[in-house]
Amino acid sequence: MGLGDHKLAVSLPGPTLASMIQRLSSSTADVDGLLFGHVSYIAPSTLPDDPAQASPDSQLLATISGFLCFPSLLSFYDSLGRVDPSRLSSTTPLIGWFSSRRKTPLRPSMREFSVTRSLSSTPSLSLPIQNSDPHSLFAPSIFLLFTTPLQDQFIQTNQYRAFHFQSSRPCFNPLSVDVVNIGPAFRGHYGSFSPTSVLPFLSCELRSLTPMNEDRNEETLIGMKQVEKDQSLLDTCAEGMQVGRLSRLIEATNYSSGLEDLYEKMLLKTESLARLVEASSAKVLEQENHNRKLRYKVARSVGVE
Amino acid sequence: MSFDGFPPFISAQLHYLVNHFAERIKVEQVLSGGKTYAGGLDRFTLLIPYCLDYIKWDIIYNAEFPLAPPDVIFGPEDEDFHPLHMTGSVGEGDLKFQNILSDWNHKDPTRLLALIQELRDRYVAYQKKRVGEVDDDRLKFEISTICSREGIEMQISSGAEKPEEVKFAVPLMDMNINKMVHGCPWRHPQKIYLQVIYPVGKKYASTPSPPRLKLMSTTELRALFSIEDVKLPSWLDGMCMAEYLPHLEESLQKQVVEAVSLIDIRRRFIESLAPLFGRPLEADPVFCRKATFLASSGSFVFLVHLLISTQFPKQQPALMLQSSQHISPQGISKKSPLLSEYPWSPRWETSQMAERIFDFMADESLNFKRFCSESQPQH
Repeated sequence: MGLGDHKLAVSLPGPTLASMIQRLSSSTADVDGLLFGHVSYIAPSTLPDDPAQASPDSQLLATISGFLCFPSLLSFYDSLGRVDPSRLSSTTPLIGWFSSRRKTPLRPSMREFSVTRSLSSTPSLSLPIQNSDPHSLFAPSIFLLFTTPLQDQFIQTNQYRAFHFQSSRPCFNPLSVDVVNIGPAFRGHYGSFSPTSVLPFLSCELRSLTPMNEDRNEETLIGMKQVEKDQSLLDTCAEGMQVGRLSRLIEATNYSSGLEDLYEKMLLKTESLARLVEASSAKVLEQENHNRKLRYKVARSVGVE
Repeated sequence: MSFDGFPPFISAQLHYLVNHFAERIKVEQVLSGGKTYAGGLDRFTLLIPYCLDYIKWDIIYNAEFPLAPPDVIFGPEDEDFHPLHMTGSVGEGDLKFQNILSDWNHKDPTRLLALIQELRDRYVAYQKKRVGEVDDDRLKFEISTICSREGIEMQISSGAEKPEEVKFAVPLMDMNINKMVHGCPWRHPQKIYLQVIYPVGKKYASTPSPPRLKLMSTTELRALFSIEDVKLPSWLDGMCMAEYLPHLEESLQKQVVEAVSLIDIRRRFIESLAPLFGRPLEADPVFCRKATFLASSGSFVFLVHLLISTQFPKQQPALMLQSSQHISPQGISKKSPLLSEYPWSPRWETSQMAERIFDFMADESLNFKRFCSESQPQH
């Protein structure tokens, strides 16, 4: 079954969209970047009686979960719109790209057509479709276009449109974007949510660490080592709050103060992370400003000659 | 037009394009893509003449990133036009076109012109291919017989509301009109085109309806030759363009040659007015369509404007008097209406024409003087 047999829909979490728009509208000029996410196959909800009959409900759902915005143009492609795969890591699940340009028509341009075409025809970039047979692949063929109206508005207005590039014709097909927000209307989306976390699978039982149950520990040496490794990984997440202490929380004594201690440590970790992000963002901004000044110099140099 | 507000590299390229493109190109909707206007204007819409109409392309530079070539957005009806990925085309031209973009040099003012020219050539090929794919026997025949004609352009137009049509713009006559006019002021070559619009045939229609025909010319040519005065030969049933065009071209050629020779007749006429009115204050030296003389009747001094049509001497010149002494409350000097009803014969000698106009003026000046002083507010 080819890709063309399925209807494709795009779902985009509200916070991701908001952070994209924030990033694009704060940039000094036109920018573009990559879209990450995953594609899953959604089986038809009703099985047709006649097997020859095509199931109308079968569709692919592409979920955009993240993006990377480049500060200038021609970052992962050249001026002819040819993508350089060596500049793109094949381990990250790339599902497409986006372009943002102010005060232009909401139609793909000559270069955008070329980049999308090149991106979706690079085999090394295809990603497997979830819930489907392991051989079906999805090429990064989603293109998200952001523009602003031609005339200045009193209210800041952003327009966006999603396209799916069809390599066989080749052309852009408009896609409907389902923006997923929090609320009862979107509960269904969270039911099918599958977290992709870096936390390891923990085989250790917390109770095994209490002395009472020591005799029940019949693990081999290798098993114990694995437990120790997992334990230390978990400890880094808890910022010094040993998991063993968690079990003590079950007992009533010191319950609240222990929990407060855990939260405090977690908050501290979050805060230090935020500081790090802040400091590095400041550095990035400084570098971007410097680059801009250099580009400005280049742009003006024509007039001087 | 002015190109203020662009960064110098864009302004230089745009200037060069507008001044060197073979036809008149228009620039509209000039905007800035920056967050603030500090970077300068960097995007605009070009109106490029094509098939006796304009195609609108949006050119998007990035003022912040001058090293990148501009991007182009084509019209909404041309979503299948992909100049970078054209199949079965041009071979050598492909490489040339790609080099324009891959070796982009923002300091070279000629680059935008080269890009637009190359894109337009590709657009011509794209439209030709589309028209060629239309399933209509008559059109297929027309294209096969007419395609070798140089400079022919075609376009397919189909809207949601209107039926599909194929439009041809056929340049007529292989003659350089600019060269025929002495002291020619035209910057762009002047041409006459025949617009032929074919409704795309319905399969079940027995006799295809005839095409709609219209003569069109470049605007400046009107000073010499009025295309509206040409009567088109009728299109007979079952005719094709290859049959129709030679007769039309032959008759047009004669008319253009005649129109050029009429310039001299108008010049001699203006010269023959000089002994009577004195030297003209002002006269159109190239096409001799306008002349202004200073005249007086007693102490009343006024100007005589002569507007001479391209049909002169068949059509008499229109006259207008303008007082140099009477000023309307709006501060404009008083003028008579256009006078084109007076004794005239195209068979007169030019000297007789001049005399008759002079006599008519002598009478008319009295009327005009009365008209001026009557409407003058009394002090």
